[in-house]
Amino acid sequence: MRKKPKFHGLKKIKVRQSWNKFNLYNLSRMQKLTVEDKTFFQQKWAAKAVTRAYHGEQIKEKQWQRMFDTRIPSVQSMDHRYLAQHDGSEQAAGRGSGIELSNGLAKKSQPRTPYMHMVYGPTERRLDTAIWRALFASSVRQARQFVTHGGVKVNGKKMIYPGYQLNPGDMFQVDPDRVMFATGAMKNQDKAYKKAKSREAQAAEEGATEEATADEGKEVSTETDNTSEQEDGAINAKSDTPPEDPELSLKDRQKTIKSLLENAKLILSDPHDRLSAPRKQEWRAFSKLVRSTLSRARTTSDATTSDLESQFQLLKSKLAPTSSSASSKAAAEAHQREAEARISAEDERMLREALERAYENPVDDAKPYATPWRPRPYMSPFAFIPRYLEVNQNVCSAVYLRHPVARPGLAEVPTPFHLETSQLAFNWYLRRR
Amino acid sequence: MYAWLNGPGQVFHDPLPNSTNYLSAYDKAGRLIRAQDANEKSRSKAEQDKEEAENEEDPDAQEASSEEADAARLRREARRQEQESKGDGNKVSSESMEDLRPFPQNTQFMSQPVLSVELRDEIFRRVKDGGLDVRTVSAQLGVAIERVGAVVRLKTIEEEWIKQGKKRATPYQTAILSMLPTTPFDATSPISTSSTRSRAPTLAHEPINDLPVHPATRPQLFVPVSESRVFTRTDAAAAFSASLLPAHARIPHPQLVHAERYRASGMTDREVRERVEEDEREREEREREREVRRREDEARRMRVVQGRRWDFRFEDVRVEDVGRDGLSERGVGWRYGAPHDDRKRGKVKIPTRVG
Repeated sequence: MRKKPKFHGLKKIKVRQSWNKFNLYNLSRMQKLTVEDKTFFQQKWAAKAVTRAYHGEQIKEKQWQRMFDTRIPSVQSMDHRYLAQHDGSEQAAGRGSGIELSNGLAKKSQPRTPYMHMVYGPTERRLDTAIWRALFASSVRQARQFVTHGGVKVNGKKMIYPGYQLNPGDMFQVDPDRVMFATGAMKNQDKAYKKAKSREAQAAEEGATEEATADEGKEVSTETDNTSEQEDGAINAKSDTPPEDPELSLKDRQKTIKSLLENAKLILSDPHDRLSAPRKQEWRAFSKLVRSTLSRARTTSDATTSDLESQFQLLKSKLAPTSSSASSKAAAEAHQREAEARISAEDERMLREALERAYENPVDDAKPYATPWRPRPYMSPFAFIPRYLEVNQNVCSAVYLRHPVARPGLAEVPTPFHLETSQLAFNWYLRRR
Repeated sequence: MYAWLNGPGQVFHDPLPNSTNYLSAYDKAGRLIRAQDANEKSRSKAEQDKEEAENEEDPDAQEASSEEADAARLRREARRQEQESKGDGNKVSSESMEDLRPFPQNTQFMSQPVLSVELRDEIFRRVKDGGLDVRTVSAQLGVAIERVGAVVRLKTIEEEWIKQGKKRATPYQTAILSMLPTTPFDATSPISTSSTRSRAPTLAHEPINDLPVHPATRPQLFVPVSESRVFTRTDAAAAFSASLLPAHARIPHPQLVHAERYRASGMTDREVRERVEEDEREREEREREREVRRREDEARRMRVVQGRRWDFRFEDVRVEDVGRDGLSERGVGWRYGAPHDDRKRGKVKIPTRVG
């Protein structure tokens, strides 16, 4: 049997619906289809082959032929002011096509509507394609897997058919964890990166490798207890700790503030870069410190600590100095120390930012992607959301508003091919070719 | 391939901060085209400035009026400072149409802006708190009706998630929106809040009055009409199809056309608003009546018999519904000769609608 060609082959350029870097390379060197050396049939065949490799490559040819439609939806955008001022008779005036301008110039013509780019419009209606277009998956194949594995809901009901044809107004939701996994950087890429780094370090210095392995080991050990800690942290701390006196001592507070701010500074210093093992430890230490500070506040209830804003307010109130009634000299001294313990506005902002970051994008080794989350490499050149979808990324949901349409100068079906190629493909699918 | 990925393709590894990062924005060597252009421009500007400065040093010019020269210098200084301050953000601000094409071959496709978070919030606020209807908000903010509805729907889910304490994909949203072009919402800018005027097209997110091309209007039509006759849009629609409405009635926001007409007839803004609201109320009333009539009609046709577990619904059917070839979808029952293989092994029945 003939060997199946590679999906992202480099010899014969086939652009696919995926964010793969091989695909990006292929897209960057894609050329217009050569037609000079081909018969018309060959041109159409080649155009069909290259466009079908992109559009609905997972759909069987027969299935696609059933979906294909020669009637292409299009729109004209109207100006309501013009419609109000004219009743349309001006366009029928003269010899039937409007009065010619006296200077003999033609009226400003609209750009042509690229109907031929809409050949594969029907595939955009499929659920798997729509999920990929909404940037919830890194390829259509992956989107298809999300659907078949039960990670997608349509209008609140689980939908397991990737070929489900979305109707205008349908809402689809993808499990956020899957989306974060699909669009986030890979977890073991970090390991590879680290390995490469450590190899470099080895070349430079012999002793460095020992440290790196020690770090890794430490990380693994902290990983295991960290996850369990995170789960019952708030609850245990509340129930297990013996009732302390409600106010922290001044020294204690100073110390806490100092370490909190230091940690926050570290977190903010390189937020988006790859985190090394010690950095991750710092990150965790910060969240741990926040937790422990909060748990010392006896007024906490579970409901309030889950909210970020209230968490921050609580932290602030915890750290804010309380008025003390003592003798004048002692009071002055205490006042001075309190001033040291007080958080400045700048520090407060920093603390809040760090808290937000640590809360929203935590280091969590239980996740299947690199944490803290960051977009996967080579994603940005593929990132666009067509107008027929409305996406809310926060809840990983999108609404299929309407079918894609062509309008003057713009086709809404995203296709990487030249207009001529699309036209040839359209001609291939006409019944009589 | 790796030569490309490590060379010109390196720029695509990480997103450009707060900007799109598409293939068309770069040249073959992987240099940002618009950054180069900006550099060239600034260089030529600098040369110009130098020339101007030289001119200024001419004794004649100095003599002419020192005050004016001072003012000019100040202005130039300010302009330069402005440019310098823009310098960092230059890459971000000046994305042209060319830069927004993700596919270099396809010039008819571009990455169109999506709603920014602020605009989404504003839409939600106006609909939920302001109590405005979707159509009005759509006209005010220049966002299509269906998109306004979708934003509200999605935002409601988000609010629910917040209430439930469910973790949202916030880092994902931040990353994605920084990679896409977005339509900003500026609360300080004078945005029309009236329902009878729509937002200026430059500020609008998308064209809101899209007229779908009706299949009846596709074939070219030759209608002989006497020269003296005023042949309007309504006549043209009737010529294509008897049931086809004219364009000003088929667009999603016909009330904007009505408002313009009222305004042209000399009404004040307030009168126009009242009149349009009245029209709107009438329209809603008519729709409600139609719905009631439909329900009554259905109740008359359908006879419901209460069963122990299910209701039995009886409806009259017509034999002619199967159509001439007997294969029409609307036909009822088992039809002779029509294959009935929907229960065969391997036949997947994908639902056509959910919910």
